[in-house]
Amino acid sequence: MMKLYLVEHAIGSFGFDENGKLIDYVLNPKDIGRVVELLLQHENGEPFPSALELINKVKPEEIVIENEAEIQKLQVKATVKPHHEGAKIFRQSLAKFALESKFASTEDELYTYLYQLAFEYTRRKLRSAAQKRDLLAIQAVRAMDDIDKSINLFSERLREWYSLHFPELDKLLEDHETYAKIVSTFGYRDSITLEGLKSINIDEHTAKRIVDAASKSIGADISEDDINSIQQLSNTILSLFTIRNNLSDYIESVMKEVAPNVTSLVGSNLGARLLSLAGSLEELSKMPASTIQVLGAEKALFRALRSGSRPPKHGIIFQFPAIHSAPRWQRGKIARALAAKLAIAARVDNYSGRYIGDQLAEQLNKRIEEIKTKYEQPPPRKPAQSEKLGERRSRPEKRKSKERYKSKKNNRNEKRRR
Amino acid sequence: MSESIRTIKETNMENVFECEYIDGTVRLCTKNFAPGYSVYGERLIKYNGTEYREWNAFRSKLAGAIMKGLKENPVKKNTKVLYLGAASGTTPSHISDIVEKDGKVYGVEFSARVVRELILVAQRRPNLFPILADARFPQSYMPLVEDADVLYVDIAQPDQTDIAIYNARTFLKSDGYLLLAIKARSIDVTKDPSEIFKAEAQKLEKSDFDVKQVINLDPYDKDHAMVLARFKG
Ligand SMILES: C[S@@+](CC[C@H](N)C(=O)[O-])C[C@H]1O[C@@H](n2cnc3c(N)ncnc32)[C@H](O)[C@@H]1O
Repeated sequence: MMKLYLVEHAIGSFGFDENGKLIDYVLNPKDIGRVVELLLQHENGEPFPSALELINKVKPEEIVIENEAEIQKLQVKATVKPHHEGAKIFRQSLAKFALESKFASTEDELYTYLYQLAFEYTRRKLRSAAQKRDLLAIQAVRAMDDIDKSINLFSERLREWYSLHFPELDKLLEDHETYAKIVSTFGYRDSITLEGLKSINIDEHTAKRIVDAASKSIGADISEDDINSIQQLSNTILSLFTIRNNLSDYIESVMKEVAPNVTSLVGSNLGARLLSLAGSLEELSKMPASTIQVLGAEKALFRALRSGSRPPKHGIIFQFPAIHSAPRWQRGKIARALAAKLAIAARVDNYSGRYIGDQLAEQLNKRIEEIKTKYEQPPPRKPAQSEKLGERRSRPEKRKSKERYKSKKNNRNEKRRR
Repeated sequence: MSESIRTIKETNMENVFECEYIDGTVRLCTKNFAPGYSVYGERLIKYNGTEYREWNAFRSKLAGAIMKGLKENPVKKNTKVLYLGAASGTTPSHISDIVEKDGKVYGVEFSARVVRELILVAQRRPNLFPILADARFPQSYMPLVEDADVLYVDIAQPDQTDIAIYNARTFLKSDGYLLLAIKARSIDVTKDPSEIFKAEAQKLEKSDFDVKQVINLDPYDKDHAMVLARFKG
């Protein structure tokens, strides 16, 4: 007798009666990877599990659905009517239903979820059209390294050059971009004003110190020609920063498309560097966790193999905040945990493209917490001699991992690229 | 750069602005919802502490329609828009500017190549949802969207009016608006464009729409029209 108007939405399945009154609902899991999977199946006429559960609960005699493809998959008599009464009521007050069903506790939370879901859904579809796009991410991250080098080089030059006119500024500003912005915006130190500095987002305190330093500067006076040339260099630096930002956006986007699980663990930059060191996503996905753990520390590894000393505990993944911010004795353990997850992530990215990033990240965080509590105290001191040895080794090792030594293969790539 | 600006003031349309340069030229612009970033090389303008983006009528049909005398812009602050044919996000980004944080733009586009660019734009805009899907199959994005105040259709397909009607019946609130960009040449190259515009408008009238205005977009877009219609369904 009863007719159920079924609405299937990413947040769940909702059933209404013919007067548009909500009868019952079943929420979908709040798991982006899982829901994307459901959405893709739904397109092929597969009802949401939440819809089946809802029908089971309510046991209507007839249901009205919106997606014709689902008809055969339902055990109940069904008719099709897109935008039926229930659908109208639901989709016109989506936020209200999301809050009342406790799917989300605020509108912001709901829309942030749907926004992320739309991205993941779209990336997942792009991925099936993706071919060798990992190589684009790799080139982009290498280009970014080149740009960073240039920025440093030019910025050092700019600082030396402009210091002839305003030497005190060098010490007042660490950040190259801000420094270049000041030179580009004001030119002569006498043109620098408090208001002007604030308008380029320099905090009050620093701004005051700069203005003060400018008025007392011991630097030389220079001509308009001089300042124009200096400003040209600083403009170049600023445009390099713009390119860098765009590149970073681009890398993020490509990485989320080709390696979403790796990216959700370590972010797009470190993720792209791992791909770059491995050579491709496919190569990375074939590596055992122990190799991933020391990617980028090959020199130290080969030295250890030759001399029989202890192998390095981490390569480029040292850049992962949870590793480098951890006490020294925890780092190896966290690195191992991370590498293990990365190995799984790379395989899923390469072979299925399913998104399980949220779960992987959660498991990793749990493991890191475990390590932090279990090994809160440093290990008992060892006999003096071996401790010394350990210390001597650990320092250069740290530096090396930062320098990102490339494997032989990558060295070859590097040469080709030059 | 900002020295060349005389004034920026809101037009009679909400959140659509007009910027007057010192040399007298006047351009449309919108308040940048993603400050510091331009989308298609358009100029960014700082004025009284707010950043605006020039809105190029040669690149965006909605801007073209406004320049050519659109009487009422249904896209306002807080509006929910379903946008079919979002492409790389040129017009969607301006709509995202206009509707602001509490509005939503669901951008549907089916070409993988351009969706990659759309994603880069949407990354900076929490109110713009990029959806890779075919507008002919609304079932696929039905679970991702909500009902819209405005349906914007710019897909340059021969059967675009039918696709628009189908989507309106699925997602458009009653009394909601349709903005339909018609490209005469993609419908029939042999017919006179104005005949085509008339025929498409009639199709809408027969399908529960009140056609409010048909705007010829020449010279911004040759052989293109923008139709503004109200949905009674
Ligand atoms: C003229 S462009 C749109 C430009 C965009 N509206 C703007 O102003 O920025 C048309 C777009 O519609 C897309 N398109 C065509 N047919 C489609 C369909 N059935 N579903 C989704 N998108 C479609 C094309 O791939 C193309 O990117």
